[in-house]
Amino acid sequence: MQIGFIGLGIMGRPMALNLLKGGHALTVWARRPASMQPLLDAGARAADSPVEAARGSDLVISMVADAPDVAEVMLGEHGVVHGAAPGLVAIDMSTILPAAARDIGAGLAAAGVDFLDAPVSGGEVGAIAGTLSIMVGGSAAAFATARPAFECMGRNIVHVGDSGAGQVAKAANQIVTGVGVLTVAEALNFAARNGVDPARVREALLGGFAYSKILENHGQRMLDRNFKPGFKSWMHQKDMNIVMQSAHALGLCLPASAAAAQMFNAMVGAGLGEEDSIAMLKLLERLSGGEA
Amino acid sequence: MRVGFVGLGAMGRPMALHLLRGGHALAVWSRRPESAQPLVDAGAMRCPTPAALAQWAEVVFSIVTTGADVEQVVFGPQGLAEGFSPGAVFVDMSTIAPATARDIAARLAARGVDMLDAPVSGGEAGAIAGTLAIMAGGEAAVLERVRPLLACFGPRIVHVGGQGAGQVAKACNQMVMVGCIEAVAEALHLARAAGADPARVREALAGGSAGSRVLEVFGGRMVERDFRAGVEARLHHKDYDILMQDACRSGVPLPVSAQVWQQLNALMALGGGRQDSAALLRVLEAASGASSRES
Repeated sequence: MQIGFIGLGIMGRPMALNLLKGGHALTVWARRPASMQPLLDAGARAADSPVEAARGSDLVISMVADAPDVAEVMLGEHGVVHGAAPGLVAIDMSTILPAAARDIGAGLAAAGVDFLDAPVSGGEVGAIAGTLSIMVGGSAAAFATARPAFECMGRNIVHVGDSGAGQVAKAANQIVTGVGVLTVAEALNFAARNGVDPARVREALLGGFAYSKILENHGQRMLDRNFKPGFKSWMHQKDMNIVMQSAHALGLCLPASAAAAQMFNAMVGAGLGEEDSIAMLKLLERLSGGEA
Repeated sequence: MRVGFVGLGAMGRPMALHLLRGGHALAVWSRRPESAQPLVDAGAMRCPTPAALAQWAEVVFSIVTTGADVEQVVFGPQGLAEGFSPGAVFVDMSTIAPATARDIAARLAARGVDMLDAPVSGGEAGAIAGTLAIMAGGEAAVLERVRPLLACFGPRIVHVGGQGAGQVAKACNQMVMVGCIEAVAEALHLARAAGADPARVREALAGGSAGSRVLEVFGGRMVERDFRAGVEARLHHKDYDILMQDACRSGVPLPVSAQVWQQLNALMALGGGRQDSAALLRVLEAASGASSRES
């Protein structure tokens, strides 16, 4: 397939490389031309705007920071919508507000362009390995068209529902991981401050109902005190804000998410924003008069 | 001084009446013409558009619901901005995001119009009695020019700081007040569940360190189970969105406020948006299944 790819940051670069490896023809665009170079070296063609990336493509994929960026590359003055050939499927894989994804999808639909919201989970590691979880919202037909491209980038690929449903699933994912990181950090800190080896506690918990990937992977990195990202805590803060804004709009009570979101606020305020979200442990230690 | 007033709801109407009583020439505009009628009956001039009002007035006050409403009134078609002359003063008394207030002020400054953000606390009762607390942001000299007018609304006028500082103070005010409402609701809910008369408990608390205006006013409403608004809970809910977004942007943890926000979300889900925020008690009752008494 001919694929346009917009946004070549920590996540977008390896995802685009995996599309090339999968044998797809790729046209790339990034706000900073320097970030395109690794892709050009690998055989991609450079576009000078999102509209150029869309021209002649079967799929256009965006992986950018936030909703206004997605709206700009899809619907802006030099946006994808102006270069769309009939049958183009536009796909946004960024994490944004479900309501914003629906609006962008509606804007593209009005111009006859199919849209999928397809945020991912799995971080930089999953992006490089091509093992991302991909949660997709939009029409079944567009999903079928895009599936071969998704398979180059991820493993667990789920068509969740209509437009916006992928972002809803991602927000739910961030509730579980955001609250999960906080609870694992609390448990390990609790163990340590009670004079018990947190590594042994983690090991004991892994066999029971408290088992989770977060306990296994994030827990291990907490024990190793390896705070390199990974997934930066300011990005988790942004995602928790999406969760809380959606809850506000719908009148939903999310007490645990609300607590976790405040801890992420504190991490950013305390200068831990560029560290992995497991630096939550450091924050808890500070608040408990402990290490760090 | 020729004074204009935009937004004649539960707060704006009594405030505008105080300007008339203070002997000021008043022009009014309201989205729904019938809300202007009591003011017109009392001697105010009705303007067909915000632009016409701004053309006539030297100082314009507004008190509307959201930041988008303020932007619409100022910069929308036939908005105030089309009528303002350089040197005019615009005083927005709505509760909106500090960033929105700063943005509007900057855009008006480019046209030579001074702005103050001057949100109020005290509710409808304070507006009627002329006892509102006023928190002003903007230049001190501009505040001095309009201070005699603001004094019609209430005696406590505090210049908090530059543009947006009034809204920051208002956000803090809401945080403290609604947090207290939740605390009082929890206390009275516990009192009843544990077999004590909430009215007596409130009375006992009023004499000690837990005594507060919120315990008196909102606690009273809870004891009476009178949830008619006062200030509609949906407006506090809106305010929480503003302040929690500011907390997120600033990297500031507000653990208690975040929980109060969730209780307000739950109150919206219970259909309590048009009730008084004292109805936060109903959320607790719904959660614990204790006494689903009539609301």
